[in-house]
Amino acid sequence: MSPLAEIRIIAFRELRRSVRSAKGIALSALTLLGAFVASLASVWVEGADRVRSNAASTQAYIELKRAIIEKATGDATLAAFLAPIPTSLLLFVKITVWFSPLLVALFGFDAISGELQHREVRFWTVRSRRASYFLAKLAGLWALVGLVTLALNLLAGTVALARGYVTVGELFAWGLRFWLVTFAIAGAWCAIATFISSCVKTPILALLATFGAFFVSWICGAGGFIARQRESIAGATGLPSQQMGWYEYLYPNAYDTLLMSSEPVRVWLAVGTLAGFVVVFAVAGTLLFQRRDV
Amino acid sequence: MSAAAVAVRLVALTKRFGAKTAVEAVSLQIESGMAYGLIGPNGAGKTTTFSMMAGYLRPTHGTLEVLGFAPTAVDSLRSRVGVLPQDALLPANDRVGEFLVHLALLQNVPKSKATDAAVRALAEVQGSDWWKQRCGSLSHGMAKRVALAQAFLGDPDLVLLDEPTAGLDPRVAWEIRQFIKGKKGRATIVVSSHNLQELEEICDGAAILDRGRLVASGRMAELTAANDEVRVKVGRGTRRGSASGAVSVDELRGLPMVRSVDFDEEELEIVVSFERKQADAETVIGEVLSALLKNQVRISGVTKGRGLEQRVMDLT
Repeated sequence: MSPLAEIRIIAFRELRRSVRSAKGIALSALTLLGAFVASLASVWVEGADRVRSNAASTQAYIELKRAIIEKATGDATLAAFLAPIPTSLLLFVKITVWFSPLLVALFGFDAISGELQHREVRFWTVRSRRASYFLAKLAGLWALVGLVTLALNLLAGTVALARGYVTVGELFAWGLRFWLVTFAIAGAWCAIATFISSCVKTPILALLATFGAFFVSWICGAGGFIARQRESIAGATGLPSQQMGWYEYLYPNAYDTLLMSSEPVRVWLAVGTLAGFVVVFAVAGTLLFQRRDV
Repeated sequence: MSAAAVAVRLVALTKRFGAKTAVEAVSLQIESGMAYGLIGPNGAGKTTTFSMMAGYLRPTHGTLEVLGFAPTAVDSLRSRVGVLPQDALLPANDRVGEFLVHLALLQNVPKSKATDAAVRALAEVQGSDWWKQRCGSLSHGMAKRVALAQAFLGDPDLVLLDEPTAGLDPRVAWEIRQFIKGKKGRATIVVSSHNLQELEEICDGAAILDRGRLVASGRMAELTAANDEVRVKVGRGTRRGSASGAVSVDELRGLPMVRSVDFDEEELEIVVSFERKQADAETVIGEVLSALLKNQVRISGVTKGRGLEQRVMDLT
């Protein structure tokens, strides 16, 4: 049997198990509830923005948004590219990206650690390569988070559609792209979470270690963001630099701006780097898991 | 012994956990088709040895071959090795049927036959009614049977069983023993257990471990001296002598195949050693009992050899 066949069989089971478990159901329900509130809030923000900006036309509103995005990112091209996109979708993708590590940590902390603790893993290691088992767990988690975020995006899109802020065409074009942005970023978080889960035998420790690792990563991202804002205050242009500090690259969420860029090079750079995250943690996790006693 | 005739081969196998040596330089061969026991007190290293055979633990030193491959060569051993881990919990949320089907698929059983294989495996442990039950809702005995079903799923060539009857009530334990005995001859079975009576009943051979070292191994008859020795328990108050009701040691020594006779008056046990080339144990039992009964000695029990329990007590 090929490793791919093993991964497929175990990953499907993992997905089914996660969706059916009490934890999976509760988390999914809470996430969807939260998403519904977030999508209402996004729509409300968009409506309030339109009223507050007192924009005479859609074009004026877009121009206002362009200026705001440019000020936030320091990237005029990106601002011009993103400005026509409905605000509610933009806001929602930001919210989803921001919360995806939490989702990944809660769904994935016990993916392997739970089975190590109760030695369930022993039923699998005599029937599948350890590498396949590890990669299947990663694939299962990633697929689960992908499904949940897809549901979130559909929900948010439906709310925005109902309010008339997006058209069906925009929803399909931008909604799909934004979901892919979340999906790509979630992959990096999933790889880190699965790696940690395979190193720790106790699920609660795995959860704490995952939160710890994610927090360190967030600190890197926040540090870079603050540094760039300071630069913008001190600088002559009043705009933050487009260039991220090296440590910001350690925070997967920092790639959202690159992934939403109009320039294919920047998008592929982000996709490549996020893929690098997945590969590094998947390879490290696989190697360690192959060598560990279960 | 040819490579094909050896199901499991351990050569100077050592496992250390930090500074602690759990198994030290154990060398052992288990013939194909045998039912083989791993015996020893707590901390003897039998579960560690078992876990290395199953590929759960990596040896620190030495080599280990299972059906001619390293235990971690999953693809080469797929569906050829079944394992009953002692303390692995079944996945609580899975239904019994889907769990077994999933494992069958991983054993490369075609999708169209996986369900049949799982149904058959469950039926063999009398668990057909549990197909739709969640594993988490099974009693300890039921869970043990499901675990046993997964170990024998797909009729593997080698089955490793760690404490298959631990914690079970006598009836379920007996049923599981009968199930394992029914599988003898169709697969090589390695059983790690504390239950010496069980092992003596099931196994053709055994290895006795103590503090991580191998202290004895071989066929059960060799270990228990069942082919060299007969033990007769006599009634309370029986003494040595030639009077009626007494044990005449000299008379027993005079029997043609007998090598030596000892009578322990405190333990009330006669130990008769004999030349296995001259007679088998059954013949010797007949001759010895005949001599004793002629002298009206009251007999309370007869065993071939000293029993596995006694042997283990002597060695560990």
